[in-house]
Amino acid sequence: MEIIRYRHDVWGEEVILGVSWDLLWVVAVAAFLLLAAHAIFMAALAKKKARPSSEGKRINRHDAIDRAFHWIMAGSVLVLIATGISPIVGIRISWLNIHWIAGLVLTFVCVFHIIRAMFWQDFKSMLLGPADFKEPFDESIKPGKYSFEQKGMHWAMTVLVIAVIATGITLFLNINTPWWDRPSVEDEGSLGIFFLLHGTATLGLIAFTAIHIYFAVRPEKRFYTRSMVTGWISEAEMKENHDTNKWKAE
Amino acid sequence: MSSHDVMPEMGLYQPVSVEDAVGLASQLAERGWLVGGGQDTYGWLKDRAKRPEVLVDLKGIESMRGVRETADGIEIGALVTLTEITRNPLITERYALLAQAAGRVASPQIRNVGTLAGNVAQDARCWYYRRGLNCYRAGGNLCYADTPEGMNREHALFNTSRCVAVSPSDTGTALVALEAQMVISSSSGERVVDAEDFFVGPNLDIRHMTVLRPGDILTAVRIPAKWANAEFYFEKVADRNVWDFALVSIAAAMRVNNGVIEDSRLVAGAVQCTPRRLTSVESAIRGKARNQETADQVASLAVQGAQPLNFNHFKMPLMENLVNRAVRGHA
Amino acid sequence: MTYMHIGKDFTPPDIEGKVTGAARYAEDFRRDGLVFARLLTSPIPAGRVVNIDASEALAMPGVLGIFTADDLPESKPPANPALAKEFITYIGQPILAVAAESEELAEAAIERIVVEYERRPFVVDPLETLIEGGPDPYPMGNSLIRTGEAAAGTTASGTGVGQIKWTADQVASFRAGRFPTGANFPEEWMYGDVDAAFAQCSTIVEEPFVTIGYPHHSLESRTGMAYWENGKCYFHGSLQSHTVGHDALSAMLEIDPANLVFINENTGGGFGSKIFPYPTMAVTGRFARKLNRPLQLRITRAEEFYIGSARSGMQGWIKVGLRDNGRVGAVDVAIVGDAGAGGGASGSSAAEHISIMYQPENMRFRGMSLYTNTAPRGAQRGPGQNEMAAVLSPIMDKAARQAGIDLVEFRRLNAPGMEAKIGPRQGGLSSSYYPEALQMAAAEFGWEQKKALPRQISATKVRGIGVGEGYHSAGASGYDGLLRIAPDGKIYLHTGVGNLGTYSYAAVVRAAAEALQCSWENCVVVHGRTDYHLQHSTYQGGSNTMFTETRSSHVAAMDAIRKLKEIAAAQFGGAADDYSIGGERVFLTSDSSKGMTYGEAAQKAIEMGGEYSGASFPEDIHNTTKRAVQGLAGTGLIGVGKDTLPKSGTTPGFAVAMVEIELDTETGKFDILNYTGIAECGTIVHPLGLRQAMNGGGVWGFGMAGYERHVYDPQNGLPANVGLYQSKPPTYLDVPVQMNCSATDMPDPQSPVGARGIGEPAQGCAVAALMSAISDALDGHLFNRTPVTPDMIVNHIAQNGFNTGDLKTNTF
Repeated sequence: MEIIRYRHDVWGEEVILGVSWDLLWVVAVAAFLLLAAHAIFMAALAKKKARPSSEGKRINRHDAIDRAFHWIMAGSVLVLIATGISPIVGIRISWLNIHWIAGLVLTFVCVFHIIRAMFWQDFKSMLLGPADFKEPFDESIKPGKYSFEQKGMHWAMTVLVIAVIATGITLFLNINTPWWDRPSVEDEGSLGIFFLLHGTATLGLIAFTAIHIYFAVRPEKRFYTRSMVTGWISEAEMKENHDTNKWKAE
Repeated sequence: MSSHDVMPEMGLYQPVSVEDAVGLASQLAERGWLVGGGQDTYGWLKDRAKRPEVLVDLKGIESMRGVRETADGIEIGALVTLTEITRNPLITERYALLAQAAGRVASPQIRNVGTLAGNVAQDARCWYYRRGLNCYRAGGNLCYADTPEGMNREHALFNTSRCVAVSPSDTGTALVALEAQMVISSSSGERVVDAEDFFVGPNLDIRHMTVLRPGDILTAVRIPAKWANAEFYFEKVADRNVWDFALVSIAAAMRVNNGVIEDSRLVAGAVQCTPRRLTSVESAIRGKARNQETADQVASLAVQGAQPLNFNHFKMPLMENLVNRAVRGHA
Repeated sequence: MTYMHIGKDFTPPDIEGKVTGAARYAEDFRRDGLVFARLLTSPIPAGRVVNIDASEALAMPGVLGIFTADDLPESKPPANPALAKEFITYIGQPILAVAAESEELAEAAIERIVVEYERRPFVVDPLETLIEGGPDPYPMGNSLIRTGEAAAGTTASGTGVGQIKWTADQVASFRAGRFPTGANFPEEWMYGDVDAAFAQCSTIVEEPFVTIGYPHHSLESRTGMAYWENGKCYFHGSLQSHTVGHDALSAMLEIDPANLVFINENTGGGFGSKIFPYPTMAVTGRFARKLNRPLQLRITRAEEFYIGSARSGMQGWIKVGLRDNGRVGAVDVAIVGDAGAGGGASGSSAAEHISIMYQPENMRFRGMSLYTNTAPRGAQRGPGQNEMAAVLSPIMDKAARQAGIDLVEFRRLNAPGMEAKIGPRQGGLSSSYYPEALQMAAAEFGWEQKKALPRQISATKVRGIGVGEGYHSAGASGYDGLLRIAPDGKIYLHTGVGNLGTYSYAAVVRAAAEALQCSWENCVVVHGRTDYHLQHSTYQGGSNTMFTETRSSHVAAMDAIRKLKEIAAAQFGGAADDYSIGGERVFLTSDSSKGMTYGEAAQKAIEMGGEYSGASFPEDIHNTTKRAVQGLAGTGLIGVGKDTLPKSGTTPGFAVAMVEIELDTETGKFDILNYTGIAECGTIVHPLGLRQAMNGGGVWGFGMAGYERHVYDPQNGLPANVGLYQSKPPTYLDVPVQMNCSATDMPDPQSPVGARGIGEPAQGCAVAALMSAISDALDGHLFNRTPVTPDMIVNHIAQNGFNTGDLKTNTF
């Protein structure tokens, strides 16, 4: 199995073409096995706890605009993944235009999110500090608004999405669009490196998207998913899972 | 790229039945290469721009030869040569459009060995791709033709998606016009695909010109009676009158009653990666007289949406002129 | 004059083999122990070889060795090296050869050789390298400089690579169709006072022009096979000349010419690219010696594109002035020649074409030869003259139309006649019946009638008629003739002229048969192997075989006749002058019973020895001929001699053509309805051969006019049309079924049989006439470019402005 694909450029020199799509299957299988193992472990071994009630006072967790951002981003990432891997797995759809349009949407909402998060939101609530790393190992420590896993997922997705956006924009500049014609490629090796990075980031994104979706549908986490739809969690859910000293809910 | 010009060492199977051939094709998959007349094969292999390990020579399969009359038209074996197509009475009498198109393929020598299946399934003739460069179509990251200074006189006007190669098939346009159906065998059985859907553009599959996948064998082409003895027009404009690919070609079938066009199929070749149905022209001429006036009214519809490259703007007026001729019915 | 053989058709000895397929070419020969070599060629347009790792290839069973530039004497730019190392200057340039027990193995070995390259900047358009700061095709520059005596168009010693640059403004001005004020042109000649003459002209036309070069595409690629036995090299090659290249090939192999046997009975085309030995022949011979095995180096069709030479291109500017009387008063022309990666451009020859065909009263030429990282260029039929004929004809038509003169009448007014002058030195001609040829063409074509026909044939078809002219110098002197009369009465007519496929090698020796008054059936043409004892003959090219070699054949025959008479006189008494020849006998003029047959005389010559049997020979003959005579000595009567017959002025070959086309305004395609080509090549020697020359040249002219060109991607230096189907030489459905060809058939006084050559003008007249007809069909529109392809015509008619301009070359 190869990790990186190489080709000869126009002058016969060997250059990087991109990541090997064999790795797509590796990622898919690895993610499946990991999540299946987790599911089995949780089902069989993990302590069963009564879930807090969703009744009672509702605490606002996500503003409508943030929920919209999340779902637009989620949609665009899923579209990007689906359109990106369809030609690799042999599905014949006219994917490219959908792919770059989804990429543009993702880029715009991410820029919007970054600006909003830095100036209008409690940016610190998402910061991952050294103290956060104790959280998984000490049941007595409850998180603020976001748990260690949520922060980890967020920052992992941040890095991966920025990576696919940055590399994707470079690749976008190399195709025809309504605004420009594709240029001549003087250094195929450099282009190949961008494809390699884009592909690698995509593989990571696929893995983390799978993990994210898995946790989103897990029973004990489903109230978070609900909050991403409706905006709220119950006070009980909040108190069960969060330290209200750290998360001063409005 | 060094010019190798000798066959590489490779295996050879010579099945005599479609079943055996399908079994081999399926088993070998990407490692195998189907060869009929060989006119699109040996260049690739001798240049070592394609490197299959085993050749599956289909020429021994008798059932893929011959032209048969069916309940609804005719069925042409995939191995029928282009020369045979130009001479077969069933074709020349009823589907002269196909005979005319076949007669304009390449040269007599090539038509003598080249098959109908080979002509429709042949790969792109973009010179960059044929040179063995690792362009999009070859699995790479870029197109050499669609660049600010790319030499793309013979490339596409429409429906490009990274790759700007055109369909090189002369018979493909005629088959789409005649609403032919392509009979494809594979290990999962036989399927029939409309000629119009047989060809695929780079937006759908940048590596293949047709729906054929490893393991598939095009065994026959069926032409329904619908367009038998219709009024036809075929014209191919190439730099040379022999041994050349079309700059633009046009194939048209029309049902004309009392000088009025009741129904038509117009297909242009060499303007995009697949034969291009000119549906806007077909709609516009329905119910109109087949004459110069109608032709002048509708010809410009054919080039709407064209996105020319550096050197192929000429294809727009040329295409418009050929559509004009097809509609009016004479050169 | 009534001839026995001259002006009569005959069956050249190679015809049967060509019809039946029995004719063998270099690639067909095998030898016990033969090994197969193949080339690894450059994937980059410019750079150098840093390292070659062939270890994996050499470890393969059956792989015998590699051969690189290090195995050859050092080659300095701009000489075209057989194998490149320090100066890679085009994609497809040979880097090394691999030999193996089979071709397949050799190819498999090539794939396992790793060559490390260093890339350098490259350029595919001369004007791009000419501009200040533009890339140079060689590290040291972009132009051919002459450092000593060397023939134009060669890469012989005496040349180097220098640098010429213009300012951006000068290049922009040139691109815009104006003369670049103050620009440096290293080549310049002038006669008369051009600037003053323009002031006297009432019609002035000023135009830019581009002709794009294109490959020779010889049908037989330049495959060679060599083996060494007992210190001798036996070389099966493909040259269009034969003995004239013998010494050069010997030098390439560093052996005594006596130790080289060059074998080449048939050649499948050369068109100027195989006049002399070419670089890869050194690889074939030397690699065979290195391995001590018979070795075939096969050159593939694609490789033939790269190393098989190509026509130079031109980017130019011309100003033509006509005086009130319709005479061309002044011509000023500037030409930037595209010499590819090596060789030389042909600007001066192009200008010379103007000087002779229109006899301008005052003329100036300025030019230069620039290199590009495209395939090396060399002589191709009528180098300079024919591409100039192509673009000149419509430009001259424009001038004539402006002046209100009929196109044929305009040419008649300016036609080169007996008193014509040529080139910067304004030298004379051996003879010229060109005005008669023009008149004959007009009559046979029906110029006046066709001129009167309506231009619009139908709603979408327009008629165009055109006239064009071709010229090339067509004859030299100083070569040797050789024949042998054997005791069996057979007459062996030796020729060292190559067999390019024109049959002229056989036609020329008929001048000897004519002089000897012998039957052709009794003659044997001896050619094709130097160990058949072949004399020093002219090169087969440059339209010159017919004039040059009928002279040397005649000289050999005259020598034989003298000897026949002297032998007869010795036998029967009296003086040699008392004897005559006839019926293949030499006899006493006053008593024909006193005489002997040629066979008896030959037996007598052997007995007499000395010069009669070839035991001795004239001192002034070439060493090659001396060896040939030595080889024949004692086997019959030897007729041998060097051509020292009187010769003065330039020997011209002329042709004029007229073309009628039907141009389809919707497709840009045209059909040639009528073609008339008239040769002015002195006496017709071989009517079928002449017709073939005129038709073949004509077809090739159509190719230059409408089809063939180099196309290179400027972004990566890749050629777009390597193969024959991509290069598009015209096919049988692109040319008229009937081509009307004839000749003035008037003798040149400097040839004993009145003959001159015609090869090159046959193409020049056709391309010029067709370009003229295309322009005529489009109301005099000038494309100022060859070729004119359907896309250009469609773009022009659509008035969409998308035709390539700005003097760009090597492009669509």
